[in-house]
Amino acid sequence: MNWSLFFGELVSGLTLGSIYALIALGYTMVYGILKLLNFAHGDVYMVGAFIGFFILQWLGGPLKPVVTGWLAVAIMFAVAMIGCGALGVGIERFAYRPLRNAPRIAPLISALGVSIFLQNSALLLWGPQFRDYDTFDLVGVKSYHIGQNFFISNIQILTISVSIGLTIALTLIVSRTRTGKAMRATSFDRDAAEMMGISIDRVISFTFFLGSALAAAGGIMFGLVFGQIFSLMGFTAGLKGFTAAVVGGIGSIPGAVVGGFLIGLLEAFATGYLPGGSVYANLYVFALLIVMFLIRPSGLLGSPVIQKV
Amino acid sequence: MSSLGGGQPGEGGLPPAAPEVEPADQAQVGTDEWVARVDERRAAQKGLSGVVVRGWERLPAPARLIVLLGPFAIFPFITNEGNLYRYGLLTLIYALLAMGLNVVVGFAGLLDLGYVAFFGFGAYLYGIMASGHSGHHLQAEIAIPIVVVSTALVGLLLGLTSWRLLGDYLAIVTLFFLQAFVIFVNNANGGLNDFSYPFVGKVDLTGGANGLDRIDPFNLFGYHITTTKGYYFFTLISITLLMTMLYFVNGSRTGRAWRALREDPLAAEVMSMPVNRLKLLAFMFGAAVAGFSGTIYGAVQSGAFPGDYDVGLLITIYAIVILGGLGSIGGVVIGALVVNGAPELLRSSSNARFLFYGVLLLALFLAMRPWYKPLLVLLGTVAFGFAVHGIASAVWSRGTAGHISGGGPLGRGLEHWVLLPSHTSSIAGWAYFALIVAALVLTLLRDWWRALALIPTLYLAAFVWENKLVEQVSGATRLIMLGTLLVVIMNVRPAGIFGTSRVEIV
Amino acid sequence: MALLELRDVSKAFGGLQVIDHLSLHVDEGEIVSVIGPNGAGKTTVFNLITGIFHVDSGEIVFEGDKISGLAPHRITNRGIARTFQTLRLFLNMTVMENVMAAEYGQTKSTLLEAMLQLPRSRKEEKQIRKLAEEKLGFFGQRLAGYRHGQPAYSLSYANRRRLEIARAMATNARLLLLDEPAAGMNPHETHEITELIGKLRDDAGYSILVIEHDMHVVEGISDRVIALDHGIKIAEGLFDDVATHPLVIEAYLGVRAETEEAV
Repeated sequence: MNWSLFFGELVSGLTLGSIYALIALGYTMVYGILKLLNFAHGDVYMVGAFIGFFILQWLGGPLKPVVTGWLAVAIMFAVAMIGCGALGVGIERFAYRPLRNAPRIAPLISALGVSIFLQNSALLLWGPQFRDYDTFDLVGVKSYHIGQNFFISNIQILTISVSIGLTIALTLIVSRTRTGKAMRATSFDRDAAEMMGISIDRVISFTFFLGSALAAAGGIMFGLVFGQIFSLMGFTAGLKGFTAAVVGGIGSIPGAVVGGFLIGLLEAFATGYLPGGSVYANLYVFALLIVMFLIRPSGLLGSPVIQKV
Repeated sequence: MSSLGGGQPGEGGLPPAAPEVEPADQAQVGTDEWVARVDERRAAQKGLSGVVVRGWERLPAPARLIVLLGPFAIFPFITNEGNLYRYGLLTLIYALLAMGLNVVVGFAGLLDLGYVAFFGFGAYLYGIMASGHSGHHLQAEIAIPIVVVSTALVGLLLGLTSWRLLGDYLAIVTLFFLQAFVIFVNNANGGLNDFSYPFVGKVDLTGGANGLDRIDPFNLFGYHITTTKGYYFFTLISITLLMTMLYFVNGSRTGRAWRALREDPLAAEVMSMPVNRLKLLAFMFGAAVAGFSGTIYGAVQSGAFPGDYDVGLLITIYAIVILGGLGSIGGVVIGALVVNGAPELLRSSSNARFLFYGVLLLALFLAMRPWYKPLLVLLGTVAFGFAVHGIASAVWSRGTAGHISGGGPLGRGLEHWVLLPSHTSSIAGWAYFALIVAALVLTLLRDWWRALALIPTLYLAAFVWENKLVEQVSGATRLIMLGTLLVVIMNVRPAGIFGTSRVEIV
Repeated sequence: MALLELRDVSKAFGGLQVIDHLSLHVDEGEIVSVIGPNGAGKTTVFNLITGIFHVDSGEIVFEGDKISGLAPHRITNRGIARTFQTLRLFLNMTVMENVMAAEYGQTKSTLLEAMLQLPRSRKEEKQIRKLAEEKLGFFGQRLAGYRHGQPAYSLSYANRRRLEIARAMATNARLLLLDEPAAGMNPHETHEITELIGKLRDDAGYSILVIEHDMHVVEGISDRVIALDHGIKIAEGLFDDVATHPLVIEAYLGVRAETEEAV
């Protein structure tokens, strides 16, 4: 067995997986509360990556930033997360809120419209070309190895640990804070929560803010790991993020993380080992999604839904 | 016991209905009667739109078909080959495609986002059976039925997922299916990374990213369709037949069951309808229509290219169906005319300019009442523009340095009104952003505040249009418009412009 | 032989035992009422009978055949139809279409036959339209003539309840399950519904299982009353016996039976 290939795919799978997990968290939270599939989520992730890029330019570019590399990265994260959080809140306010009592299909189509709008606005403003993060120059990528075959770079460590850190922070927000309690109540029964004096609009806005901020973090991580971003990157990533949320069990926060890592690993190992994997990795992810739906529609960690009649 | 005080309040939270009048006593009008007369009140609709709506509703079905499709039959005789292709044939193909989607989404209420994959599947499969690329040259009368049946079968497979999927999950699976289809046709050229199939090894199925070229024109019973006009009439006849059939289906047990399924799947199931089978049937029917349209498109293009069957097309078709009204059989034709015709007009920038300002004016005058309000806004905007331009020419010379290329008199006039900075990219980007914010803020304002805010917003829209949007009229701008259209229609009139509005369970 | 029989049926959601070893039967031509406080499992019984939920244990037998485990539409085709407590009409379809849609199970023509308007499709359409008119005619002026072409959403609340019953009748059922037919109705309408349920049995020959909170209605229509609490049958028999049964009184939070009637 070729261990260096195996560990290589393992590490890149975990890295990819932590990005998908961050996207999946946004899907899962919004779905949990609104029962809405937010198609625009993937594009929010793309916008996050671009905000990070422009902040980097504003700080003097990757080659000679006015602050040290790591501080620049931290500022990128902060601004992009806040910016995308606001974007998410705006999308909800204007594209979904008026449709809260409309037939189920209406907000979905609206979401599709928002997605296309964001994607093409990015094309219009920023063009289709790749933009470089130049991570190598920015922070000085180092590679560590354990034993003969196991290599991991500092960027990969950063990505995985930031992702896990953000997930823990989110879990704490949802389980410990007042707002978190309101979120759980809303997702359980929106009308009842409203009657208990919870401001549904604020809870939903907050949910969108959190979800979009996490997606922005994912977008910047993508830029750091792969060095490049582009305006169409949101679509496929969004699909996989959603797949991760579903595989893990939609509505479940740990489920989204598990799903994200699973999808990332599947994609990495498919690329390395399966026939046609280098071009058809997405097909294998799709196959997993179908299998998941057929075997366990409620996902790995989700609970089955009881239909009320 | 005789004191009837036992009426339970409804658990659904609905107030008890007002006391009803005795059946014999019809002269008195109770709440019940008032509610029931919704149609009469609609019939009393004033103005031109009321006349049109009533006239349309009074027409018998065959007459409606003639009114709707008659102009299309005349069109080829009054236009040239290029326009016939751009405005006529493509519109018809889109309309045909949208009719199939309308069955899936509009009738049965299944959000199928993989629909255009079937369209692509049809084109590719036809190409595999009849093209210089594959080396086979099957006659169309054999190839088309094979395509239709095979796409229906693929539809069946995809539809199977709808059995297990709760609501929106279906949307994502089908969207992923479309993505998988695009990835597949992009790579299935027997190249280095492609699959090696059992028994046959590596095969060049689709030509990969370069597409499957040299697709044969239709050879129907020895008659070759080679002209645009030929395909135009072939498609028109197909639409006429399909529309008639759909009209019959709509009033049949299957059509009713589909609509019942859309309204309330659980109630439908309990009322003796086999919901799963009906879902599959809708999927298959839609897929078959898409596959059929795909063969026409493939033959017309004499090729099948992976980029044609992507999310852009999906949005276009959805916009058509939604504009025409979900579930409205004839609406898709009008939807296709608007959604395909308008962007085709956009292709030349001077046309695009007229269209842009025309639509803005139209929307302004249609949406605002009373009539003098939009007029004031319009005058205000014009004055505002000249004022801004005047100030800018005095203090910011770069801001008026640009020119409009080939805009005719309108363009020359605009040069004195709208700011045209010499280096636009960054300013226009921020202006675009500001326009979005301004448009969103507008939705929050009321009455005269809205009218007042509209003035700078309209000017900003003109600025962004002349400096940014006009650059990419056939690419990003078109899709931005369609995306906005979807959001706006869903928010303002979910039934679509030409559909009858529906009521939802409260 | 009983028309419908539940034998030792149980159903749990997670840890909550909603129906606990319940047995009951409805005879041909009988009107049986199910009463009980909220959450007693009454609607769950309907959902089990119509196949929306599957039983955990026990079986449901209709006309001697086991129906538990069948898909809902198959059960309906056997001859059981229901109404919903929270109305579930096809709101954007016309009154006539609502009723005709429920006749799906009695027709056979395929999609292709409808597309080409082949004779069988046309013949069936005519038949079921006539049948639907008949069913709607049962409600006299309320759902007559000019209302056939109106969308269901334009109907008043009481008329929506009537349309639900008409729709259930149209499935060609022999047993009707009515879930709180008088809920949300004013006294006048409640009285009318009571008469209607009697007529459904006497004139149209249906057997009826009805869930109802309004004790006037229950008293007026029932041949037999079954009281449920926490998924267990606590009493069964004539209205007066059940209404005065100590367990029933206790189930309704200790309220005396006479005052309960007035609630």
